[in-house]
Amino acid sequence: MRLRAGISAALASAAILLVGWQAGAHVADSNASGVTTSAAGGTGTGGTATAGGTASDTGSTTNGTTGSSASGSSSGTGVGSSSSSGSSSSSGTGASAKAGASAKAGGTYAGQAVETRFGTVQVQVTVKAGVITDVTALHLTDQEQRSVQISNRAAPLLRSEVLSAQSANVQTIGGATVTSDAYLTSLQAALDAAHF
Amino acid sequence: MQPISSPGGPLQSDNKEPRLRSRIFTSMGTVVSLAVPAAPATAPQAAVDELEAATAVVEKLFNGLDRTFSLYRPDSEASAVARGELALTDASADMRRLYVEASEWRTLTDGAFTAERPDGVVDLAGIVKGHAMREAGTSLLALGLKDWCLNAGGDVLVDGSPTPSSARPWLAGVVDPADRTTLLTSFPLGGYSLVNAGKRALATSGTSERGHHIWSAGLQGGQGAGFLQVSVASADIVTADVLATAIMAGGARTLALATARWDVEVLAVKNDGGLLATPGFRKPAAQNS
Repeated sequence: MRLRAGISAALASAAILLVGWQAGAHVADSNASGVTTSAAGGTGTGGTATAGGTASDTGSTTNGTTGSSASGSSSGTGVGSSSSSGSSSSSGTGASAKAGASAKAGGTYAGQAVETRFGTVQVQVTVKAGVITDVTALHLTDQEQRSVQISNRAAPLLRSEVLSAQSANVQTIGGATVTSDAYLTSLQAALDAAHF
Repeated sequence: MQPISSPGGPLQSDNKEPRLRSRIFTSMGTVVSLAVPAAPATAPQAAVDELEAATAVVEKLFNGLDRTFSLYRPDSEASAVARGELALTDASADMRRLYVEASEWRTLTDGAFTAERPDGVVDLAGIVKGHAMREAGTSLLALGLKDWCLNAGGDVLVDGSPTPSSARPWLAGVVDPADRTTLLTSFPLGGYSLVNAGKRALATSGTSERGHHIWSAGLQGGQGAGFLQVSVASADIVTADVLATAIMAGGARTLALATARWDVEVLAVKNDGGLLATPGFRKPAAQNS
């Protein structure tokens, strides 16, 4: 439950910043911020007016450049309560800043992976004509990383499963440390003698 | 001089075995060998001189560290520390630095690697050979040698390739602990391909070392759970050497910790003869030539 809240909170703040960037870029065009407001609202609830009231606080603590009209769109992502979006404001910052910077015209933008106490979160935002049409999570936790570690674990194997080697094919011999005396009868000594 | 294929001899292909030259010396109770690709036929004597000069530099370095760190030499600084005549805080910078490094490894390996004997005497034998090889590698680089293979008593550090100007890695055999005249497998080191992901060092620890610097054997769950021999491949020799020793001492738990925490490949031979290996030691990944 906390994980879910964290993810949706991160998404919410991503939307805050992304739309906030757009509002800043098109600050002279009041129609543009109007469009983004309704678009972001479409991903969750549609209440523009009430949302603007709760989220303007969030916007001011998160990002000074975020316009109040843009912040209004953020709580429309379905989070519902202002407390959860407040708690997430820091975790989503990195993810959305990059996406916002490149989300000028349209297309799909992946945010930076952000470390949160819920794991690594990375969001992808789809923008069409300056409007966010989709927000998806690319990377929710570090489960992928864990699977890499698991695959590097030492597992039992048969001798036929290792590369069979003959001393004629190798250039050096590894083994537990041998004393100077034991070296004389070792494979390494034979190699060294052949190369002298 | 242009290479000419003699009518009587077989025409050698590009895949021929690399021709090497090597020199050896004894230090730290074992034998150290330095191998380089045999030079082109134009200036054989110059190449031999270069190899012998490089070997002399490495030998001097090993002997210098041995004089400081050997507990077999009563006149060494390490012996003075062991007898309590010299406080570690008053020891040389080299001694203190290596002690700090060993202590960090103790923390990182959850105590499986340690620089203190059960009786409390500081003994850096578990790290000093790896340290010497690391320093030797730096010296060889400074001398301008690009392709070389250093083997100190079964621990291996390489650079470049046995065939100059090729991507071919050095191939290090791993001795079968049950029969030291045969090889269990081999592992590619160095070279310029991505097949071994930058691994330049291979260190092996075995039961023959027990009683010298592996004291934590009590961590293992009985004789059957332990390892006969552990080989670790890594980008650097100290990591490989320390982790091989730590896994020998700490058993399966330390093996799992090592593969999770470091970018290493491990081949462990269990006391019952069975093998445990990370993917890099499996056939498809190890095949390279």
